[in-house]
Amino acid sequence: MPFLDEIEAAIPGLRAYARALLRDREAADDLVQDTLEVALVRASQWRGEGSLRAWLSRILLNRFRDGLRRNRAAPMLTLVAEPTAPPQGEPRLALAEVHAAMGRLPEDQRAALLLVALEGMSLAEAASVLGLAEGTLASRLARARASLREMTARDRQSPARKGSS
Amino acid sequence: MTPPVPASPLSDVDAHRLRHGDAAARAELARLAQSDFDLAVRLAEWDRQDAALLALYAPVADEPVPPRLHAVLKMPVAPPSQWWKVAAAIGFLAFGFVGGWGAARLAGPVPATTIADAAMASFATYAVEVLHPIEVAASDEAHLVKWLSKRLGTQIKTPDLMSEGFRLIGGRLLPGDKSPAALLMYEDDLGRRLTLYLTRSDGKASGLAFAEEPGRQAFWWVDGSLGCALVGDLPRDTLRRLAIAAYHDLTEA
Repeated sequence: MPFLDEIEAAIPGLRAYARALLRDREAADDLVQDTLEVALVRASQWRGEGSLRAWLSRILLNRFRDGLRRNRAAPMLTLVAEPTAPPQGEPRLALAEVHAAMGRLPEDQRAALLLVALEGMSLAEAASVLGLAEGTLASRLARARASLREMTARDRQSPARKGSS
Repeated sequence: MTPPVPASPLSDVDAHRLRHGDAAARAELARLAQSDFDLAVRLAEWDRQDAALLALYAPVADEPVPPRLHAVLKMPVAPPSQWWKVAAAIGFLAFGFVGGWGAARLAGPVPATTIADAAMASFATYAVEVLHPIEVAASDEAHLVKWLSKRLGTQIKTPDLMSEGFRLIGGRLLPGDKSPAALLMYEDDLGRRLTLYLTRSDGKASGLAFAEEPGRQAFWWVDGSLGCALVGDLPRDTLRRLAIAAYHDLTEA
């Protein structure tokens, strides 16, 4: 598939990831637009190694971090946002609750968890996107999931899992 | 800590390594979970988390993509790639890169560099198009030429590339930097396609320069009021011969 078509095909997935990361439709599409612009400018650096999707995710996350740095005073993250999909049937976890909990996760944990959970990347792929060792990423994921679990466990009979302390 | 169940040999971190590892790792994890209730409980929780995240955010990918995102891909913003090194090496850099790309973009005349990039981008988009590669067919050539000349604000022609077996199949209008651009498409009996990208230019005349990206090559030049780029995926010599033919046809009075 030609390069531009491949980029175009990646847009819907990038939008989903950016929305989950930023939790704001406009901000997320701004981030995707920014990512696409950078990708075109750096097209010559694309060597066809690894997946284009991973390369685009790496650009997106770099732009995201740049944005966070720039907006330290006025974070672009909005903690109050509506879930993008209404709960369907009887979900095991209340979606609104999970969405709210994701908003309280540190950005690096949220970014990492979404790469594997939403993007379906392997630990190796996600680690290369984030520039982390696999072990580092695995512990980051473990922390993210533990926090998420704590934040969403209120109403449920949570199995008595031993804390690590 | 003294858990009442047999101490889980697998930490959360190791469980993540297996869960997001290859097929063998995942199978190993499933096997371990069969004899480790605590692990099975953790895995079930993570599955629920993943399911919730997918339910929350995956549907975004099914929403219509805002036009502004597609538009990015059609903009001739790609900067000189490897080709400019070639161009520089053979002395074609008639257009100052002194201030880097940003400065080049801010400069008055349409930078010739964008011609090759825009031409290759439009080739990538339209040459593969099966249903609608063109807007106006070559059967309506007189109208095509009149329409595109009018929109570009300068007279264009449709070069004859039959010397290499490429016949005009039609053309379309494209967004351009300062004025619209035209794309003429040619095809040979093997179904190979060439595109000739034409845009108004007030840049200085240039020689023939070569540019390439994976899967496509371009010869481009600026002459008078036209910036032109012939793009295809052909042997370089063939493409050069065709570009020279197009150049002659376009500049002939």
